[in-house]
Amino acid sequence: MSKFNNFRSKLADELEIPNNALSDNFELRMHGNKKVIIENHLGLTVYDENMVSIKTNDQDIKIKGSKFKIEEINNLKVIVKGNIKEIIFSMKE
Amino acid sequence: MLIFKLMYLIRGYVVIRTDDKNAEKVLNILRRRNIAVWDVEKKGKGIKFKISYEDYIKNSNLINEIVNPVIKRGAMLKLNKVKFRKGFSIGLLILIISLYLLTSMIWDVEVVGTNQTNTNEILGLLEENKIKIPVSISRIETKQLETLIYNNFEYKFVDVFVEGSKLIIFVREREPEPAEIKSNEPSSIISVKNAIINKVIAKSGQPVVKEGDVVYEGQTLIMGIVKNKNSDEFMMVPSDGIIYGKTYYNFEMKEEKIRSVNMSTNKSKTVYYLKLNENSIKIIGDKDPYERYDYRESVIKVPFVSNITDISFLKGVYYEEEIKKIEIDKQTAQNKMKVAMYDELLERCDDDSRILKSNINFSEDDEFYYLIAQIEVIEDIGEKIRIFPIEEEQTDETKED
Repeated sequence: MSKFNNFRSKLADELEIPNNALSDNFELRMHGNKKVIIENHLGLTVYDENMVSIKTNDQDIKIKGSKFKIEEINNLKVIVKGNIKEIIFSMKE
Repeated sequence: MLIFKLMYLIRGYVVIRTDDKNAEKVLNILRRRNIAVWDVEKKGKGIKFKISYEDYIKNSNLINEIVNPVIKRGAMLKLNKVKFRKGFSIGLLILIISLYLLTSMIWDVEVVGTNQTNTNEILGLLEENKIKIPVSISRIETKQLETLIYNNFEYKFVDVFVEGSKLIIFVREREPEPAEIKSNEPSSIISVKNAIINKVIAKSGQPVVKEGDVVYEGQTLIMGIVKNKNSDEFMMVPSDGIIYGKTYYNFEMKEEKIRSVNMSTNKSKTVYYLKLNENSIKIIGDKDPYERYDYRESVIKVPFVSNITDISFLKGVYYEEEIKKIEIDKQTAQNKMKVAMYDELLERCDDDSRILKSNINFSEDDEFYYLIAQIEVIEDIGEKIRIFPIEEEQTDETKED
């Protein structure tokens, strides 16, 4: 995470406003292990039935499981449905 | 998401399939172009997804370059097709208009509850009031029609309602009222039952019976012919009074000890018929599927179609029944016979009658319970009848004079 982005994230926390309003951080929500909603993403890097990889500003998010479908994808958010087993965050090099 | 999908089902969407191994790239390109993509599924090596028809039109060059659209769906797209099929569109429009016109008119008038002569008279009255068939439903004011018919005919009850494309006029004719004897008309009082006179209260007229007399049905109790005090002539007067008499009612009843009753087995089978006018054609199910059954049927009207035509469906249900023998206990049988006896007594007596004595005996044999009873009742046994003066025939002597 860049220093400026880090500062914006902290400022948002202090001001008690949504983090993604000031920073470029992604927001991840899960509905059980069946649905993942990721906001503030930068696109897909891998889409397979067993794995979906999503690029964000600082990290790549790998979702592993089975029967994956992308319910919706647009500039703002991506919704992935399926049986989720694992979510891995990896920092960009 | 459901609302979103429903919205695009109306506005139109395009299903796209790509066999490109780098399907992610396609999705990212579309995303960068601000194109919303949904229902992305893996299909073989490639993917299948949906985009809106608007986005497809805007970016058709790009999309056709990278992928192949498979199907275009949505209500708006269908409407666009209709634009080119003018004949079909005009036909459809004419059909809708004619259906609307046909269903908003009354094509038949049915009069229920009276004979053909009166029916023709009612139809004539409607025509006089400018209601000629066919007529628009909106022109029919049912309450106004009811008043009109009620005022012009002597009906007890009139109800007018519209059912589909039919105007139904339901009437109930007045029953002729029994002729009443006016209070100033000469009359006598006669007995309507065989009885023993208990009390005679004569207000006017000449009583011809006294307490303890045995009278028979039709016998005069109070005579409306009395002698004039001032002359030897007789005159006719209206009779009035109450004559109480003791009457005896005998009852003999029997009730089975073991009764056969039809009991439902909770099994049923349904049969459907297509009804055309008065004929019905069987569609599904069997006729008479059980040896013993209770059959009930109901008409299923097809919305719109049944209103215009006489086509409807008939649903018949056969409920299986079996005969079961039930033993009736003594107390129940006796109570039942007693109730039946008093019901019958109430029908045969007036409301103000009084039971003086009742003698009820029960007995039984192998098959039946029996009731033998005699009820002694005090009741008003008189009935007024009108009397008329008889014109005397002229004697031969008078003729000669």
